[in-house]
Order: sequence, then structure tokens, then C-alpha cells
Amino acid sequence: MYKLRRYLRRVLFFLVLASFLAVILVPIYWMLNTSVKNPREVISPIPTFFPHEPTLSNYSKVFQAGIWRNFLNTIIVAVSATLASIVLAFLSAYALVRYRFPWKINRLFLIWVLVVRILPPIVLAVPLFTIFNQAGLINTLPGLIVAFQIYTLPYSVWIIYGFIKSLPVEFEESATIDGASPFKVLTAIVEPLVRTGVIATSIFSLILAWNEFLFALLFVRTPRLLTLPVVVSRYIGEYTTQWGELMAIGLLATLPILIFSNFVYRQLTEGFSMSLK
Amino acid sequence: MPGIVAPLIVHSVPCQNYIQIIGESLFQRAFINTLSFTLVASFLEVFLGVLLAFLLYTRFFGKKAASLIIIFPMIISTMVICAVWQTFFHYDIGLFNYVLRSFGLSPVGWLTNQDVALFSIILVDIWQWTPFAFLIIQAGMSSIPTELFEAAKIDGAGSSQIAFKITLPILSSQILLVLMLRTLDTFRLFDKVYAQTQGGPANATQTLSLFIYREGFSFFNFGRVSAASVITLFFVSFLALFYVRKLLKEEE
Repeated sequence: MYKLRRYLRRVLFFLVLASFLAVILVPIYWMLNTSVKNPREVISPIPTFFPHEPTLSNYSKVFQAGIWRNFLNTIIVAVSATLASIVLAFLSAYALVRYRFPWKINRLFLIWVLVVRILPPIVLAVPLFTIFNQAGLINTLPGLIVAFQIYTLPYSVWIIYGFIKSLPVEFEESATIDGASPFKVLTAIVEPLVRTGVIATSIFSLILAWNEFLFALLFVRTPRLLTLPVVVSRYIGEYTTQWGELMAIGLLATLPILIFSNFVYRQLTEGFSMSLK
Repeated sequence: MPGIVAPLIVHSVPCQNYIQIIGESLFQRAFINTLSFTLVASFLEVFLGVLLAFLLYTRFFGKKAASLIIIFPMIISTMVICAVWQTFFHYDIGLFNYVLRSFGLSPVGWLTNQDVALFSIILVDIWQWTPFAFLIIQAGMSSIPTELFEAAKIDGAGSSQIAFKITLPILSSQILLVLMLRTLDTFRLFDKVYAQTQGGPANATQTLSLFIYREGFSFFNFGRVSAASVITLFFVSFLALFYVRKLLKEEE
């Protein structure tokens, strides 16, 4: 009797788990499925769960439309925004932890950074647009890199701050006594000790920047300079049933991160459990 | 530049912009929609996240692969997710209505019915962000020493008792944290409604962010943008303060 109950519980457990996983996987499978259907099959009122005549024509079409250009933009913007954030966050977090600021300015700074993170970005978009307009940053990729700091920098400062704060100060002190310059202390001692945090943070901000939509929509208008999320949104709006091409772009935009997801997952969990402490 | 238009508006009444937009049904609608979206989506995401974390706490074959699959949605771009769900929601050729029809039920206007559209958007948000709640709560759960559960078992506690009396109270600060992060994130809802409904049908999915976007970038009404922004700010800070105070209390 007891054994039977345990067996039933086990079955129930796997059923519940399987249904959760199915809910997650079906949309992803649907993206793949639709992207290899021909246009006629896509709009058939009876959706097919397997493509009858699998075709790669959607992919070749989006490449002919110049999607690689947008792909490149997204890579440039996401990687540069992340690098900028990491360098700035590492330096400022170190200063915030170690340097004695008058009137607790460092705490004020940390809270201020958090406020930026909390604000809905649209609230910042209008004033930022005016500033960018005067600075000539509208419709440029460097402008986007600067704008993305609003998302990536607060995260990075807070997470790296937590990591540096947990380091004992003794290593740095003895290195300084041995005659190491502040720069040397930073690169040779502090950076290796917080590397897990830095990697976790850079993955966070890479995902954020890769997927960012609002500022990319508002600050760049030239088709040649658009990032992938905006291209996808244009496809949703303009050609409501060009789903084959839409899904092809979607999958291409997702693939880089999905491939790294095993790595991403490890870093995310490590980053979270560290930052929770 | 639209700025030239601004001086033409005569500011005779103080706070005119505030009084004007607060009285507008469109703004009220945007506010109510944003609030209901925030409440329903963030609570359901955290609830499901806790459920998933409990489910995956037990040891089983393929656990690592399962947790890996669970985080997929949160790393996919929102726009791509909207695109996929668009193919589900479509009235005539969408997957959902096909399933409904094949069961003999009448199709639903997932994004075109006033009463349903906001729930469809909530559904997409839940699909995308439950993994995030799961990830943080799982990280919190894995840091609970197992001795605690063993001791409780020896004392004769049932599994539901352990869950409600031990695990959940220990996790309360993580749960609060995710709830806060999700509340603040859902409150800024823009991209999903922008891509999927444009605020329609009949403003059923109008949100504060969309309202500010339209006022600023379509009508160039910067006075009204500022007023709406300040009201939004006020509520966001209120929400943030509420959670931060609870979190700080929790830490003591």
C-alpha cells in the first residue's frame, strides 16, 4: 500500500513537471516549426505541428533583406554596452567600498543608482531624447551604447559592489606595502578574486542589452542601424502573417543566447546566490 | 522642433496639466490597467516560481536539464516572445483558437476582445518571467541547510508542515525581493502592448508607459508627459518604499 502511494506520487510529480516543461517548450518549438514552413502552410487555418515541406527559404529571405547588418548592430551595441558597464561598475564599486567618502556620499550614490533602476525607462526617455539630440547622439550606435547604461550600469554596480564588499582588505594592504600601485592592486588582486561576480554580471547585462527595445526604438530610426528587437517589432506590425520570416529572425536573434544558455545558467545561479548573501 | 509650440499654451491655472490628465478617462484607464497588470502578473509569477522551486527541490534524473529548460523564456528577447505568441493568439489561424475549435468551443479574440486582451498580455508576461522568480527562489532554497528538514522530519513533521512552517518562512526575504523586482518591472509595461495590441482594443491594454510614449513622441506634449511621469514616479517610489521597508524589517 505504502509502496503504491509512493509510486503514484512519483508519477504525479513527473506529470506536473512534464506539463510545466511542455508549456515552456511548445512556444520555442513553434518558433522553429513556423520558421521552416512555406508561406502557404503558415496561414492555413489548420496549424500543422510538423512542417509538410520543410524549407529554408524564410532564412534566405531575411538574409537577403540584410538582417546580418542588424545582427552586427546588436552585437556591437550589446558587447560595447556591457564592456563599458563592467569597467565603470568595477571601478566605481571598488571606490564605493574602499574609499572613505565624506558625508556618506557613497550610500547616497548607491541609492541614487537604484532609483535609476526602479524608474520606468519611458520616464527617462523624453529628457534623454532632448539631451541626445543636442549631443548628436540620436540615430547613432554610440548613442545607444550610452543609453543602455541606464539598464546595465545599476545592475552591474550593485552586484559587483556586493562581491567586492565581501573581500577581506588584507590582501590589498599587503600588496600596497610591497609597493604595488593602485592600478596593479585592482588588476592583479581584486579582479581575479571577484571574477565570478564580474562574469555573472556581464552575462546579465549582455542579455539586457541584447534584448533592449524601448531606447532602441526611440533613438534609432535608420533601418540600417536598427537592432534585432526593433526589426522583429516592425515585422509584427507591418506584415501580420509573414510569420515564417518573423520566426526565422526570432530564432536567429535567440540562438546566440540559447547556445550559451548552459553557461548562462551556471553564471546566473552563481550570481544570484552570491548577490543574495 | 515641437518645442516652439509649447509657449503658445497659456499657463493660467497652476498644475493645469495634472488636473487635466487626472480627469481624463484615457489616463485613468491606463492607470487602472497598469495597476491590475502589475498585481496579477507579479503575484502569479512569484506563486508559480515558488511552486517550480519546490517541484525541483527533490532529486531526480534530469534535474539539471529541467532547470536549464525552465530559464529559457527569460533569456529570449521580449519582441521575439511577442512574435511567437502572436501566432498563438491570432483569431483565424492561431494555435489557441484552433485547439478551441477542435474541442467544439467557440474561438476567443485573444487580443481583439476588450475583456480578454489584458489577460493575454499577462499570460505572455507570466510565461516570460516566472523563470526569473524560480531562479532567485531556487538560489535561496539551495542555501537552506538540509539538517533543518531532517530535524523536522525526525520530530514528525509532514511535508506540507515543513513547507509552510520552515521553508516558506526562511524564503520570505527572497520571495519579497522577487515580488518587488517583478512589481517594479511590470509597472513599466510597454513593449508587449506596443507590439501586440498598441493599447487596444478600445484602450483595454492602454498603460502608463504607452500613454507617456504617445504624449511625448507622437503629440510632443511635454507638459503632459512631465505630469504623467511625475504621477508614475510617485507610485513607483511608493511601491518601492513599501517593499524596501518590508525587506529591511525582514533582515533584522
